[in-house]
Amino acid sequence: MRDFFRQIGRLFLREVKLVATNHSLLLTLLLAPVVYAFFYGSIYQYKVEEKVLLAVADDDKSELSRAFIQQMNHLQTVSVEMAGDLPDAQEKMYYGHCMGYIYLPAGLQKKILALQQGDIVLAVNGARFLPSSELAGSLTTLALTVGAGVRLKYNEAQGLNTKMAMQETQPVNLDYRPLYNTRLSYGAFLLPGILALILQQILLIGTCESVAYEKETGNVPLVVQMGGGSLSVTLWGKGLFYMLLFLCYAFFFLTVNFSTLEVPFRGHPGDVALLFVLFFFTLIPMGFWLGSMFPNQLVAAQMMVFSTYPIFLIAGYAWPYDSLPLPLQWVSSMVPTTPFMRVYQSIVQSGGTLKDNYATVLHLLALSAFYTLLALLGLRRLYKRQQSISL
Amino acid sequence: MRTIIHIAIREWKRIVSLPEYYLVLLVLPPAISFLYGFMYDKQMASDQPVAIWDEARSPLSRQFTFLLEETESIHITTQVDNEVTLQKLIQQGKIQAAVHFPKDMDAHIKSRQPVYITLYTNAASMVTAKLIYRDAAKVLITAGSGVILQKLVKTGMPSGKAMALVQPIKLDTYILYNPQYNYQKYLVPGLIAVGLQMMIIMATILALNLEIKKGTFYELQELAGNSASNILLGKGLAYLSVGWLHYILATCIVYPFFAQGHIGGSFALFILFSVLIMACISIGMMVSAILNDVMVACDVGLFYTSPTFVFSGFTFPRWAMPWYDQYYAWLMPFTPFIEGFYKTYFMELPLHYAYRELAQLLLYIVVTFPIALFFLQHKLNKPRLQHA
Repeated sequence: MRDFFRQIGRLFLREVKLVATNHSLLLTLLLAPVVYAFFYGSIYQYKVEEKVLLAVADDDKSELSRAFIQQMNHLQTVSVEMAGDLPDAQEKMYYGHCMGYIYLPAGLQKKILALQQGDIVLAVNGARFLPSSELAGSLTTLALTVGAGVRLKYNEAQGLNTKMAMQETQPVNLDYRPLYNTRLSYGAFLLPGILALILQQILLIGTCESVAYEKETGNVPLVVQMGGGSLSVTLWGKGLFYMLLFLCYAFFFLTVNFSTLEVPFRGHPGDVALLFVLFFFTLIPMGFWLGSMFPNQLVAAQMMVFSTYPIFLIAGYAWPYDSLPLPLQWVSSMVPTTPFMRVYQSIVQSGGTLKDNYATVLHLLALSAFYTLLALLGLRRLYKRQQSISL
Repeated sequence: MRTIIHIAIREWKRIVSLPEYYLVLLVLPPAISFLYGFMYDKQMASDQPVAIWDEARSPLSRQFTFLLEETESIHITTQVDNEVTLQKLIQQGKIQAAVHFPKDMDAHIKSRQPVYITLYTNAASMVTAKLIYRDAAKVLITAGSGVILQKLVKTGMPSGKAMALVQPIKLDTYILYNPQYNYQKYLVPGLIAVGLQMMIIMATILALNLEIKKGTFYELQELAGNSASNILLGKGLAYLSVGWLHYILATCIVYPFFAQGHIGGSFALFILFSVLIMACISIGMMVSAILNDVMVACDVGLFYTSPTFVFSGFTFPRWAMPWYDQYYAWLMPFTPFIEGFYKTYFMELPLHYAYRELAQLLLYIVVTFPIALFFLQHKLNKPRLQHA
């Protein structure tokens, strides 16, 4: 047992030295997590987009149209930019000066006063997803509110008192309650996931590069011998450095970054800590296994850069898992990010517990065992190959 | 000119023989393009699990439930009888939303008492929450308008006038260029474009320093007649031709088959894409000429290209970012490209609408190419001086 701890300790110290002397590993593991976390985090600092530019072509030029434009400008999501006429409004959108346009035709006020339906045209640039959906949503609400106002006046004119007129105006109402992200902000939705993704990718890149470097320099037999010939000791002796370092990062992210970016944390810290330990127990062997397949450190770094977006996109965080094609659901289930993000999102954002997600936690445990096996096989392959070359 | 072509051919040979190049430039582009295309094959997130909390248990609540089930994004999977269970099911990931019909709903509607139908969504998953809200709101607002219309008609009002009172201002909304908010049509072209430009930068960042590492730099120097411009133009030509292959892959195969794009794109898109690739090559060459250590150069490339997509404003608008992030975004050529891409690809506008973006892209070349030239020429002159 003493030998075991001594071997683990020696491998741990060797990994510290390796990282300290390898510029790339040093930059990746010590600088990138902190810089990225603040860097990416700051993008979503304001969380929601406000004042989306909307061109307005007002051919009615009436009291009602002016009041409507004023109401639009008061909306949090809209900033009005007046256009001379409809073609001018369209041109503004084509040049990217605004995200859509609204057209108030001549005779609008006249029609509404005559109790006829008035038509308004809203065109939004659907190529820009978020701003256009915000504009469409806000202006639909505004049109419904104005409509309710007109009905209220009509009901009062019919002799109903204000209370009864109000009740008649809108008999069925929608009470919308977005849970766990009440402002429906993009930042609150994305930030927890992005911070976890940064940790994951840097850990993967670091472990991958480390193993690829050992492979490139022919040091695998030496490392295994330092582990007393045991592949498991080699894996966890080297891996211990990454486990400790990334647990510190996780703690830092969940405390400092969450508070500076004002990301709410609704779960129990113990649950998240345990989840991260389990996650890193899966990622470290995964990184070792991947690293054992690349010819050198450079290719390992290059390939891992391009894994970030695909892994994030198939993990079911930004796009629902059930909406992926079946073969990609299988692939997604083999990536530790998928079960991790599911449990992490439930705990951090919705206030769930590990117990609530026990099936997904078992999924992550199974992946941990699977990648440990692959990592050991990868190390054995490298060990045998390099040992035979040295002989 | 002949020298430049020889260097370009030599570079192509390196591209197909060195894993640092062929993996990044030839293997990854089709792999990632098809993955992205296939990933969003369902185009929209549909049939999300939703619970019903029906305290009304009336014909009207059943009718509303039926209408909700008919929508694209909602699939009623379970019944609940209180808010605690509802929240638990959301935390366990079993449902994404729930709709509550209050007790005595029908009676209240008839007795002029306003009724509130509550929609709960798991807004921590914003994509599904927004889709469910959009569909549920459409159903419930239409249903609410139907109730008003019936009431007005019952008073003897002509249906036309009643309709005008139900909806005095009719907002005709046109979602241009992507009316269904199809995720595949929207995300796939942008994701592929960002991936391709990242690949060009990550490869060109090794164009000169990898020659030093592999000991082939002097051979290149001789072939180029000690001219930095010959090396940069020759190598640049090879990478530009790779970029054109990527363009063919994207616009002739992936965009038409996976993102409803036109085969071959358009002249405007081709010009814009070519200038983007030239800007990426120029930036990559500059870094490669300055940094001799390939791993450090690779790290610089990693750090520079990784945030491109989020900073470009493609998914989250730039104007909603803090001012320093908005400035940082302009350090990357993908930022002006994406503005031009909206115009030339999604909106199919003529090139003159994207002149500003083209000029901005050219600026990256104007700034970085001379720097690359200076550093490389300096490097080329060094061994000659030592030799002398």
